[in-house]
Amino acid sequence: MRYDVIVVGAGPAGSVTARFAAKRGAKVLLLERRAEIGIPVLCGEGVSQRIDKWNILESKNWIANKLDGAKIFSPDGTKVTLSKEMAGNETGYVIYRDVFDKELAHLAGKAGAEVMLRSEVIGLVKEGDKIKGVKVRRMKEDFEIEADIVVGADGVESKIGRWAGIDTTVKPNDLETCVQYTFSNVDYPTDYGEFYLGKKIAPGGYIWVFPKGDGVFNVGIGILANFSKPGLALKLLNAFIEKKLPDFKKGIPLRLLAGAVPVAKPVETVRDNLLLVGDAARHADPITGGGITTSLEGGRIAGEVIGDAVEKQRFDRERLAEYEKRWKEAFGQKLLRNYMVKEIMLDFDDKTLNMLADSLKDYSFEEFSTLSLLKALVLKHPTLLMKLKPLIKLSEKKMEKKI
Amino acid sequence: MVKHKAKVDERECLSCGGCISVCPVDAVFMKNLRAFVDQSLCIGCSICVNTCPIGAISLEE
Ligand SMILES: Cc1cc2nc3c(=O)[nH]c(=O)nc-3n(C[C@H](O)[C@H](O)[C@H](O)COP(=O)(O)OP(=O)(O)OC[C@H]3O[C@@H](n4cnc5c(N)ncnc54)[C@H](O)[C@@H]3O)c2cc1C
Ligand code: SF4
Ligand code: SF4
Repeated sequence: MRYDVIVVGAGPAGSVTARFAAKRGAKVLLLERRAEIGIPVLCGEGVSQRIDKWNILESKNWIANKLDGAKIFSPDGTKVTLSKEMAGNETGYVIYRDVFDKELAHLAGKAGAEVMLRSEVIGLVKEGDKIKGVKVRRMKEDFEIEADIVVGADGVESKIGRWAGIDTTVKPNDLETCVQYTFSNVDYPTDYGEFYLGKKIAPGGYIWVFPKGDGVFNVGIGILANFSKPGLALKLLNAFIEKKLPDFKKGIPLRLLAGAVPVAKPVETVRDNLLLVGDAARHADPITGGGITTSLEGGRIAGEVIGDAVEKQRFDRERLAEYEKRWKEAFGQKLLRNYMVKEIMLDFDDKTLNMLADSLKDYSFEEFSTLSLLKALVLKHPTLLMKLKPLIKLSEKKMEKKI
Repeated sequence: MVKHKAKVDERECLSCGGCISVCPVDAVFMKNLRAFVDQSLCIGCSICVNTCPIGAISLEE
């Protein structure tokens, strides 16, 4: 078996890469080890509404709810509100992530990519140092498939990167370790996303509440792994629900998931015959842990660059570096800025967080984004947030909207 | 000195992949969609043990 491109992992990043490469005429194989795309869901299911503008999805079946805005609570309960009225009506969706992932894989198939389930990649095929394809385990059978380009879209675990010699090991201070419940039958009338901060509530992370509509909610926690102890994330979430979210205690638990999000600096993303996309490339936002938008944006760029490479029959690092150049233009600066903000925020104690929240509790934000929050903070606290200032300036030129 | 090795309780594991991404010596794999430690590679650093959000990994002798 031989393909131009093998994409490993049919999450959003892999499916979008496969689709845009196939659209440009490449012969693409998309390999997924799961038996059903999108299942199990490992996601909070919140995404910025600006993905509407990208025309990557065709249906609306994946939309569960539209947010009215976000409420951020400091440790003492002081509330900062970003509402849709202030933000020009553009906020975020809560999605059915399994439906979302299936639609993206469907569209990859429609563009001409071949999709294979229950096919786990267990190694790279190499000739000397040169990557020639992948080793696959499929229903107890092991075999090799050759390709000119291998794409690692294998998520936070990313073995593909490691096998290709890229150090993708995530440091504990760069990983959010998470658990999330989905509850139904909850009497908690809000269409705002809620975020709870505090060293005791969620060290190095936050607790979120996302309304899916009709009394269904995702309630989850992410904490930095360097503050984690065995099972701590689950214990903290249970304790918080018990104490602060009594309405959810009466809800019916439909789902419990564990998850991990890299909140790291991006790694090297191209080698000869190889690219990394999505979480495998560490493209999730270091502040929010959101990685859907960058998976779509980065996946499209990767697919287009691969399409060109196949046309020109050039698979060397120099040719593929176009991908790295373009994703850096699209969102590289934002990732770097938010990584630095994450590091600065870690130094704030609960008292400082309360003080910052208090100063923003009546603030009118210009848009629904972390950037507009950061700008407001710098405006109000120029000395405390001195280190943030140049970072905000950098990104002024290119305003990016993001939950 | 007794050497400790990590072990995943596969009945507990919810396959989030966190332990795999943080292991400094690449000793953790997905096997039948559950995390699995290759104890011949494990150096007993306990990073994965602390990372697991539901406490499904422990160190054993
Ligand atoms: C608890 C939690 C909450 C989150 N909440 C949000 C949120 O609200 N909003 C947001 O934008 N982001 C959120 N994220 C992040 C988001 O889920 C990821 O950034 C996103 O899934 C990345 O997409 P991906 O395609 O790179 O990887 P994934 O979606 O992880 O897909 C990787 C795919 O590769 C497959 N695979 C892996 N290894 C192999 C192999 N060897 N062979 C074959 N197949 C393989 C996997 O089975 C999987 O299907 C959250 C993450 C977690 C854990
Ligand atoms: S961190 Fe825990 S739940 Fe996640 S894959 Fe590893 S053992 Fe399983
Ligand atoms: S204890 Fe350390 S070396 Fe052993 S599997 Fe866990 S992270 Fe890897």
